[in-house]
Order: sequence, then C-alpha cells, then structure tokens
Amino acid sequence: MSMRGPALLVLLLTISGGALAADPSSPNAVERGEYLFNAAGCLGCHTDEKGGGKPLAGGRPLATPFGTFYPPNITPDPDHGIGRWSDADFIRALREGKGREGEPLYPAFPYTSYTRMTDRDLSDLKAYLFTREAVPTPNRPHELSPPFSWRFTLAGWQWLYLTEVGPRPDDPSKPPDWNRGRYLVEAVAHCGECHTPRTTLGGLDRDRYLAGNPKGPDGDKVPNITPHPKVGIGSWSPGDIALLLEIGLLPDGDVAGGAMAEVVRNSTSKLTAEDRAAIVAYLKSIPPLE
Amino acid sequence: MDPRVINALAAASVAGVLFLGFGGVVGTAIGADPVALVKQREQTMKTMGGGLGAVAKFVKGEGATVADVRSAAAAITEMVAKDPHTVFPQGTAIGVSDSEAKPELWQNWPKAVEYWNGLKPAAARLTEAANGGDRTQIAQAMQVMSKACSNCHEDFRQKKP
Repeated sequence: MSMRGPALLVLLLTISGGALAADPSSPNAVERGEYLFNAAGCLGCHTDEKGGGKPLAGGRPLATPFGTFYPPNITPDPDHGIGRWSDADFIRALREGKGREGEPLYPAFPYTSYTRMTDRDLSDLKAYLFTREAVPTPNRPHELSPPFSWRFTLAGWQWLYLTEVGPRPDDPSKPPDWNRGRYLVEAVAHCGECHTPRTTLGGLDRDRYLAGNPKGPDGDKVPNITPHPKVGIGSWSPGDIALLLEIGLLPDGDVAGGAMAEVVRNSTSKLTAEDRAAIVAYLKSIPPLE
Repeated sequence: MDPRVINALAAASVAGVLFLGFGGVVGTAIGADPVALVKQREQTMKTMGGGLGAVAKFVKGEGATVADVRSAAAAITEMVAKDPHTVFPQGTAIGVSDSEAKPELWQNWPKAVEYWNGLKPAAARLTEAANGGDRTQIAQAMQVMSKACSNCHEDFRQKKP
C-alpha cells in the first residue's frame, strides 16, 4: 500500500467520526449490540419504511424470484414480536434457521450467513433489540407459489445449503484485520446474500462467491465484488472501496443506488473506519472470478 | 495521477459540458424523442458523476487539485440548476433505450422533485468548500453531495440486468 493508505484512514475518520453511533469495543452488551445491529443491516428488511411502518415491526415487501417475503416483526412485543424469545431461541434462529417452535425459516432471512456469528455477538444483538420499542403489528404471511410455499420443503433446503453451521475459527496464518474482514463480510454484513448468485433452488452458488448476481433483490443487478480486474473491483484502490462503503461513492463518481444505497445508509456508513478497512483487506484477498 | 492525464480529463469534461449544452438545444429542437431524452439525461448524470469523481480523487489524494474541485463544483452546479421536468420528462422510464429510471419516479413526482431540489444546497456547499480549499470541508461536502444523489438512486433507479 502506498503512503496514501494511512492518510486516507485518518481522513475517513474525520469525515464520519461524529456520526458513529455505537462502539464495537464497548464492554456494554447493548452498545455492542447496537453496532452489530447496524453492521448486520437488520433495520432495512424488518422495517416497512415506505409503507410508514414502525422500526423493526416488519412487513417490508421483499420481491425475489421465489415470491414476495414479508419479514416479521422483531420488536420485543410479546405477542407479535420476539418478546418471549430466550437467548437460546434467538441464537438458534440465526444459527440454524429455526423459529421458536423449531419450524424451518425461509432463507430470505440470511441465516446461512448469520450462522457464522459468535454466541456473544448474537446475544448482544438480542440485548439491543430488546431495548427497542415494542410494536404490536401482526406478521404478514409471505406470498410464494409452490413449491416454495410449502414450508416442509425447507428442511431439505437446509440440508442442501446450510452445510456449515456456527462460527469459523480465525485463520492464524492471516492478519487480524483480514480475519475481522472475513467475519464482517461472510457473517455479520452478509454481503454474499446479494452479491453471490443463487441456484434454481435459491441456495448460494458458493463456487461463484461474491461474483455478482444478475437477479438480485427487487430485480436489481448486483455487481461482482471479487478482485477481478475487468468484471470485478480489482482495479479499485483500497480507498475506493472504503469510500464506497462509507458514503456510497463509486470511483467513477456515480453514487450507489437501490439496495446498496440502503446498505450504505443503514450499515456500512456506521462501521468504524477500521472495520471498513478490514472489509477492504478481505475483499482484496478473495479469488478473482469472472 | 499524471498532471497531463488530469488536464486531459478536465478538457474532456469541459468538452462534455459543451456537447451537452449543444445536445440540449438539439434535444429541444427535435421535440420529444424519448431515446434522445434518455441519452441527454445520461449525459447530465455523467457530468455530475464526473465532477463528483474528480472531487473524490482530490479527497483521496489521487492527483486532483483544488482547481479541479472548483471546476467540478461548477459543472455540478450547472447540472442541478436544470428543471427536473427536463431531466426526467414523461415517457423516459425503464424500457426506453437504456433508461434506468423506475416508473415509481413519476408516480411519486413530488418526492422526486424534493430529491432533485435537495441537490442544490449540496452543490452550493460543495462550491463553498471548493472555494475555501480545505480538504476536510471538501470531504464533508462530498459526503453531503453523495447522500443527495443516493436519495434518488435508492428509490428510483434500477440497475439494468
């Protein structure tokens, strides 16, 4: 990295230093949980912002090739939200894709990524969610056509696609920022859920990890973010990637739109500059794919 | 970046602006050819993007100068002064040429106008920061400008498959 790197980091801290809401190194579970809540982008899918819904009360339509999903209410409301969920229930949902009654959950909820979050991060996330306002909004059923509407098929889906359960140990041969970056990209920020193409059954095509998805959420084309020099982001400098994550600006001066604009607004702009740099370090290291 | 490259880029953006001005006149003269109107909008967007890209190069220390930031701010200011009706005329949604504008933009026209008008104070702030020449101020103004662009891109733009 040239001399620019450190200068840029300092600068990026200057741009957003005041806006940082939560602290990932806080000893307080709720504060750590708030940081993870932002990094995991829970707000976007679980809030029907355009329909005037209250935060986290669910209902934002999520159009996919399999039908329309309506993410549920995850406020602490005891009847319509997750107010009666124990820590174990919560961890099981995010790690194994199972509801409170043990029923398999639709993978529109990205548990194939969240499964890699640590116990501590998951329970801190829950601690933060439980400080939010309880909203008694009932859940809206998904609108899916068969066979996707048959929930029993999900067990088979999970057998096929939820093949690695639980957090991965750090790779000791790699520096800490790379390991942190991998954790953020793979687990918490679940980048692969949109940037990796899916099979006809809706599983992530892991051979094409982060190589872009022509049929992303809401019909958007989602770009290749592997370091391929032509079709990926191989020609981007580390500062280019960090700036995209912080303010949504692409190297050519375009500004990210669609779902990524929301991700930047709710999530990556609220990370620390160190975490954005860790994401950059990891993305620069993965195999370039066409 | 090599100063000659910067100069060439600056010349290209000026040429782009001149071409756009000319194209604008022609576009009006030949009436409402939707394909031409979409191309014209693309040029408007490219001019704004080119400007913001130059600002980012300065902020990232990648060669652009304060003078480049000033010309970028001037180009962006000229674009955002346009009437949104001329930038987003009816009948130029996705499906026309390579338009990326969702039909929702016209269905929520007051919102679209609000977003467009939000570009103006952002451009003014960028101009002020460019005149001051302070890198941090310029970086913050760039962030505000980027946010103003993303409002509309988030709601009303769809990347073509």
